Amino acid sequence: MSLNGLFRFSKSVKFGRLLSPRISQSGNEVTPYLQSERFFRTHTRKLAYAKDLFLGKVNKNEVFPYPEVSREELDEINQFVSPVEKFFNEDVDSKRIDHEAKIPPETLNGLKELGLFGIQVPEEYGGLGLSNTMYARLGEIISLDGSIAVTLAAHQAIGLKGILIAGNEEQKAKYLPKLATGEYVAAFCLTEPGSGSDAASIQTRATLTEDGKHYLINGSKIWISNGGLADIFTVFARTEVVDKDGQKKDKISAFIVERAFGGVISGQPEDKLGIRGSNTCEVVFDNTKVPVENVIGEVGGGFKVAMNILNSGRFSMGSAGAGMIKKLIELTSEYAGTRKQFNKSLSEFGMVQEKFAVMAQNAFVMESMAYLTAGMMDRPGVPDCSLEAAMVKVFSSEGGWVCVSEALQVLGGLGYTKNFPYERYLRDCRILLIFEGTNEILRMYIALTGMQHAGKILTGKIKEMKKGNIGVALEMFGKKLRDSVGRKVDLGLTGKDGVVHPSLTDSAKKFEENVCVFSSTVESLLYRYGKTIVDEQLVLKKVADVLINLYAMTAVLSRASRSISIGLRNHDHEVLLANTFCSDAYFKNNYWMTQLQRNSPENNDESIKKIAKEVLSQRAYICSHPLERTY
Amino acid sequence: MNCAPRLLRIQNFRALTVCLRAIVPAAAPFTSSHTHSPFLHGCSVQHSLRSFHGSGALQKNRAIAKDYEEKSEHEGGKSLVTHDDLFERVAQESRTKATFNRVLDVFVKQDIRRRGHVEFIYAALKKMLEFGVERDLAVYNKLLDVFPKEVFVPRNFIQRMYNHYPRQQECGVQLLEQMENYGVLPNVETKVLLVQIFGEKSHPMRKYQRLMYWFPRFKNMNPYPVPHELPQDPIDLARISLSRIAADLDAKVTVHQLPYTDITESGEEVSQPYIIGVQSPDQRSLLAKHNTSRPVFVEGPFPLWLRKTCVYYYVLRADPLPPEERTEEPIDPERCFFYPLELDVDLDRDLEDDDSFDVDEVVEGPVFAMCMAGQGDQVTLAKWISALQETNPVLGRTATLFRLESGPGELQSAAEPEPASETEAEPGPAEEAEPLRSQRMKQ
Repeated sequence: MSLNGLFRFSKSVKFGRLLSPRISQSGNEVTPYLQSERFFRTHTRKLAYAKDLFLGKVNKNEVFPYPEVSREELDEINQFVSPVEKFFNEDVDSKRIDHEAKIPPETLNGLKELGLFGIQVPEEYGGLGLSNTMYARLGEIISLDGSIAVTLAAHQAIGLKGILIAGNEEQKAKYLPKLATGEYVAAFCLTEPGSGSDAASIQTRATLTEDGKHYLINGSKIWISNGGLADIFTVFARTEVVDKDGQKKDKISAFIVERAFGGVISGQPEDKLGIRGSNTCEVVFDNTKVPVENVIGEVGGGFKVAMNILNSGRFSMGSAGAGMIKKLIELTSEYAGTRKQFNKSLSEFGMVQEKFAVMAQNAFVMESMAYLTAGMMDRPGVPDCSLEAAMVKVFSSEGGWVCVSEALQVLGGLGYTKNFPYERYLRDCRILLIFEGTNEILRMYIALTGMQHAGKILTGKIKEMKKGNIGVALEMFGKKLRDSVGRKVDLGLTGKDGVVHPSLTDSAKKFEENVCVFSSTVESLLYRYGKTIVDEQLVLKKVADVLINLYAMTAVLSRASRSISIGLRNHDHEVLLANTFCSDAYFKNNYWMTQLQRNSPENNDESIKKIAKEVLSQRAYICSHPLERTY
Repeated sequence: MNCAPRLLRIQNFRALTVCLRAIVPAAAPFTSSHTHSPFLHGCSVQHSLRSFHGSGALQKNRAIAKDYEEKSEHEGGKSLVTHDDLFERVAQESRTKATFNRVLDVFVKQDIRRRGHVEFIYAALKKMLEFGVERDLAVYNKLLDVFPKEVFVPRNFIQRMYNHYPRQQECGVQLLEQMENYGVLPNVETKVLLVQIFGEKSHPMRKYQRLMYWFPRFKNMNPYPVPHELPQDPIDLARISLSRIAADLDAKVTVHQLPYTDITESGEEVSQPYIIGVQSPDQRSLLAKHNTSRPVFVEGPFPLWLRKTCVYYYVLRADPLPPEERTEEPIDPERCFFYPLELDVDLDRDLEDDDSFDVDEVVEGPVFAMCMAGQGDQVTLAKWISALQETNPVLGRTATLFRLESGPGELQSAAEPEPASETEAEPGPAEEAEPLRSQRMKQ
């Protein structure tokens, strides 16, 4: 797959640039220099932080110092945030939404009045025109109700995103104003009964009418969030395209479909485990007549549109998860402080304390990752942060699930009842691991994108080694020898030109060491598997996990360094969290990377595969019952 | 101390039985009925009690060593014949577990000293198959119960050192061996009996221990167990066989045609053989991709053994694609919305990580479907193909060649066309006309 092409495509998208002047860099002394340099080198700027980790390179200028917003912008955000927070605290009855499986119209109207239906739609089209950073900030509050968060996300993170990033001026002018005010609700129609991530199995077809002015769309789409509410659908369908060789070929195209076009039938809302208030249903298109002007991008270019929409919407999940956990910490700590057992409050028990530490640490890491990514996306230039965004999504969805479960555990039996919101949070946040690309699929994306990047650069070297070029082999050997003797890895994060605060030196060193080992692991994996690594999913999973941890370490190092440098309140707590997380992640990374070595005794992959194969061949749990006997 | 009175009693008893035979002639042919035995039993016990005070001369005359010779003399060496007779006579009524058990009961009750039990057990072992109890543990235990208890248990180290009562031990081992051959696992009752009869360290006990060591371990060795009792209905049998061959949990067995026989107005007998086919979704999609310019073949019959039954099946297959037509479809780069399905890296798997074996693989053609039919002629199989066309329209556009051989089954059935023959008869085209349906699929 030509990823470069995709990046080029995303470069043509303008919305990032619109917001860029609002963002400035961190307030420490190097800022003016950095900023001017960045302005100068907008086009030569390295667009890859995470990808270059595969090569053992830490592009510290990308992530240090931690991105900041200007004073004015911060005030603006706070102005936005307080009414939204007030609204969610006072006017949103999450329990009722969950129980009735419907968001009441007055709540929806309140959201519309706050402008939350057009957070990222530019002001010229009547939206709030907020940056990614501000979107993430609002996401923290919106996430307090899962149903509302999903409804809004389906509307603007994917539903109208197609028009926003790939639509032409007429389309934007026609649809965005009404979508931004919430007069129209948008939905994103990609999934079909036979097609989740596989474009080849999309069955919905758009056929050109004889006059060539309309397309007739036929087919059914399932699990469409907002499918019952929406007036505007972004629909992906097969179209016949004549390619370069003059052959007719089926390709995916994206269409803007209004419900008013007719032939749009929404099914019964699905009865879901969580996010029950959001509307999810089947949408059937029966000879829906769509004018040719409503094709998003080019005819046959729908695949890229879909990929870009999916890749762009994920970063906010980190702040959403953090927002949820912060709220949960408040709720549960009150209980832990007041509930007494054996004349001690729960908060005095080590195992309860551990739960709060886990929650605080996860919230801290998620927040750091989310705002680092948002800040990178808001920068001038044409950043491609899809890899980072995917990592944020995976980390925060899994961390969120663990934390909600821990919070529920603090309350014990009470948490399990419907009298408390924990069970609802638990149900709601389960969807985070599933939608917008399941975590499994995103891990594949994370690992393979990096492997592709590393492969391009390392192929020549590895080929030389395989040919038995003694020079290269000796160089490799010497490097390994030096590493094993214990040469300190120095990637320049600490020391004279360091960007990390000295109180985080140990963590930074651990991070550097991990990066170094990671790059040699990647190299050996490429050496061993070559392009067949695509089929080694268990290997790729570990690669992705290590990379996620590395990115998380970067984020906390960067954030804590900034906090301590500018003297934010409780920065010592941040340093403590950062150091704890880094040492934890360091051991995990080392373990995973040991597993990735050849013939590693820690690696159980073969056995895991074999177990699964035996179970799946019988499609049952095949052990005899323990009470079974043979005589 | 204990043995002296017991010996005495045995001697006594023996004498008595002789008397009894003379007195009650009806008791000798113990085949007559079950009701005799209680009487007989009660009698002997009574007598034995009374004869405890009998003359010592009798006991002296009959030493244990002579016991066996005496008996054979007395019975004229016909014991084996007699026991066989016993079973034969019962067999005239019916050969069931109940009658078999009755014979055992009769034997046990007729003579408290179980004279000739070794011969009886050997005879019984032989007859078990006939009575259909060869897999019945209870029957084996009952048979083992025929051995007198405690008599053959060695009582001192010399006896233990030598082969104590070798004939009896041999017989016990034989019994266990037959159990082994039929896959019958002994239970605790067997063990208790063996201990009572032969003692803790006897040969049969060792045999029992070996059985108990290996049998449970081997019991579930076969990952594809065949049921002991195969269904009699050829359609059910075909279902089992076909799903066995298909080895795909998605494969669907379809009954294309049920067997029936009808007589037309003209008095002609019209019979339809059954046709049962199996096809998995994978096979269907494989067939859908088949190049219609190449023929598909119906081949068979191929044998499939299920325990002692042999059934025959037919396959629909094609020749493997010639190398020049074997092209791998390139992966569409616009296939997966989320991640690249292929890496653009010019590196192959390292040899050290290539775990595949270097095997010369013979390329075989794809098999699209399998079937079993009541008749192996072209007409019947053509019906199968036309039934398959409903779900596989490509078959309508493809030439179908029938390459039917006369299988081994056919040769045998030609040689011995009696219905009881053990092998299946699957007639080739040559035999189509013969109404052989009845004997097909019969065990």
